[in-house]
Amino acid sequence: MRSTFHGLETARRGMFTQQTALQVTGNNISNANTPGYSRQRVNFEQTEPYPAAAMNRPNIPGQMGTGVKAGSIQRVREGFLDVQFRTENNKLGYWGAKAEGLEKMEDIMNEPSDNGLSKTLDRFWQSLQDLAVNPEDSGARSVVRQRGIAVAETFNYLSNSLYTIKKDMESQIDITKLEVNSLTTQINNINKQISEIEPHGYLPNDLYDERDMLVDRLSELVNIKVTSEPSSDDPSPMAAGKYTIELISGDGTQSLGKLVDGAALAKSDVNYNIDSTTGKLTKFTLGAPPSDITTLKVGGRLSGLTDSFNNTYPTMLNDLDKLAKGFAVKFNEVHSNGYSLTNTTNIDFFALEIPGAVSEEITSTTPIAGFASRLTIHDDIKNKIENIAAGLTTSDGDGDNAQLLSDVKNDSDVKLKTTYEGMIGRMAVESQEAVRLMDNSNVLKSAVDSRRQSISGVSLDEEMTNMIQFQHAYNASARNITVIDEMLDKIINGMGVGGR
Amino acid sequence: MRVTQSMLSNNMLRHISQGYERMAKTQEQLSTGKKISRPSDDPVVAMKGMSYRTNLTEVEQYKRNLSEAYNWMENSDAALDKATSVMQRIRELTVQASNGTLEDSQRQIISKEIGQLKEHLVSIANTQVAGKYIFNGNDTTTQPVDFSKPNPVSQNGNPVKIELSKGIDIAINVNPKTIFTYTSGSTDSGLFGDIMELEKALNSTNPSDIDSFIGKLDKNLEKLVSERAELGARYNRVELIDARVSEQEVIANRILSENEDADIERVITDLKMQETVQRAALGVGARIIQPSLMDFLR
Repeated sequence: MRSTFHGLETARRGMFTQQTALQVTGNNISNANTPGYSRQRVNFEQTEPYPAAAMNRPNIPGQMGTGVKAGSIQRVREGFLDVQFRTENNKLGYWGAKAEGLEKMEDIMNEPSDNGLSKTLDRFWQSLQDLAVNPEDSGARSVVRQRGIAVAETFNYLSNSLYTIKKDMESQIDITKLEVNSLTTQINNINKQISEIEPHGYLPNDLYDERDMLVDRLSELVNIKVTSEPSSDDPSPMAAGKYTIELISGDGTQSLGKLVDGAALAKSDVNYNIDSTTGKLTKFTLGAPPSDITTLKVGGRLSGLTDSFNNTYPTMLNDLDKLAKGFAVKFNEVHSNGYSLTNTTNIDFFALEIPGAVSEEITSTTPIAGFASRLTIHDDIKNKIENIAAGLTTSDGDGDNAQLLSDVKNDSDVKLKTTYEGMIGRMAVESQEAVRLMDNSNVLKSAVDSRRQSISGVSLDEEMTNMIQFQHAYNASARNITVIDEMLDKIINGMGVGGR
Repeated sequence: MRVTQSMLSNNMLRHISQGYERMAKTQEQLSTGKKISRPSDDPVVAMKGMSYRTNLTEVEQYKRNLSEAYNWMENSDAALDKATSVMQRIRELTVQASNGTLEDSQRQIISKEIGQLKEHLVSIANTQVAGKYIFNGNDTTTQPVDFSKPNPVSQNGNPVKIELSKGIDIAINVNPKTIFTYTSGSTDSGLFGDIMELEKALNSTNPSDIDSFIGKLDKNLEKLVSERAELGARYNRVELIDARVSEQEVIANRILSENEDADIERVITDLKMQETVQRAALGVGARIIQPSLMDFLR
């Protein structure tokens, strides 16, 4: 026989459960604008029916429902979209960093414009043409000297600025590395908290959200693969478990080691080595003692920065050095054949101080690293414009050598103009590609993000509808109590009073 | 697909900021007048721009060189013209003096005039243009004729060359070695030598062979005329080069402009279109943030 008060209990459960649902609705509404929040849903479950199937069950019609309970509170989220989002975010990180580096380079090179190296060389050429026409004119000589200084200084400026940005990139790599390590520490801490909560049968949804957001951020910096470890022997099927995060090579083919180990609740730090002689980042390492990741391709922003630091900038710097050297050596060669106004010959126009061998002659065999940053006008020219060797003879009016000097710009060995145009062209194409791919991954990332929002985002209208639904169910349960109350009143106070 | 209000407002924000981004690009194009502002905007335009600029600089420089060439050649021509008249006058006087009826004193007067004309010839040979002696080869800082020196007429015949077009060097001076000459000997010769001998002959009491000077003067005059003709021919060539370089300047400017100048009509049309789209985006934004269900539930 069932209890007289059975109905009260059923209705009470209804009220309690609807109240829980309203609580969750309120929480959803409150967090409608919280970044990384996934809407939550109460999983309603029926309580055990009466009577339970057993040997000594009462012989009554059964089974009868005994009400409802809030079985669990679950995040509404699609894990597959997280994987997609993180893949695109990773590409965005890589191409974003590359595009940024190349954009800065374009700003420095400042071509095509009236202030770039190309124009400075044109002006220098022009001053040499004027000198060829007026070799006896000290005004024309001053202009040649100043324009020559401008060429040297433009080379210096380009080289030094690129070097500064490269140095800046090193600190960005360092900051990014620290960020990776900080994120993995936080994820590991959340893993620990989750491993303490899940075995009790709870779903720590806020921790899941927070952890997913950290993983999203991590995915921009390096390429990762997330797998999950159960935190107890018999976890709730809805439990997300502890995350193990592997570092994956940029092309996605190779696992480079575990950043966060969910099973061991441990994490490893990423580190890197910069070779002091070559100035290049030679390798990334993982953990302590460091295990060599051997490949530089860790993907994401870290790879983008490494690429710029190791390749893009050194290539441009080296090209500038080569160009400056080829030009200066050839120019000096032609210049030393000519005669100055004081009828001396064998004078250098450009000078270079090589570290450790000050005042050494520039030849085609001297080292070129950093040449562009050290290119200057030779003291002979700096102090005395008469020393500019404009003529091939001792006549003051002979401008034939100035003519030959002006031809160095188009010299077939140096290929000054075409080489420089090639350098700028390469940079432009590389930059264009980086910007295009950055835009592409950005579009894809926002497409995935909006699909993720479509599933996990809070819709206020929907919450309002739910609220009304739950409110009505709550009210109805309450009304059910009133009905049962009236029934009990009938039984207790209204029955067995006949003849009174 | 389930769409929430935050998705709508995110989209709206994204579209509006994309619109502003496009408008910023248009603004840049309109205010600079250039299609591109950085090489990655269009690598081909950027690279071409660099070489077209160089071409333009070169052409501009050649124009500058041309005006210097004109300056030299016109001044040389004018000086040679004067020299020719002087020589003709000397010849005239010589013809007059060869008339045997003249008295000594009359010949001396002619000799005086010839002396003055010789001085004038010296000053013509020493013509300076912008501080440079144009009749001394490439030794432009030394006076070519100076009778206080042991070798009064210098013999620098080197050409003064100017590049007037890529790889084309043209001598802009005349060769003074063939015209302003002086050879000292038992009887001085060359232009100045001949005149000096003529003066001497006129001053002597019994001149016998004044006639012979007419032939000598004619020879010098002929050299002068032929050098001037040669200069004239070169001047013509310079004019031809000038015409070509001027044409190149126009072409270089046009190509540079075609390559990198923004097509203003098009950019303004784009701007107009973007304005419309932006207004629509803002309008949609304002409309899409609608009252929600909440506003209807009381």
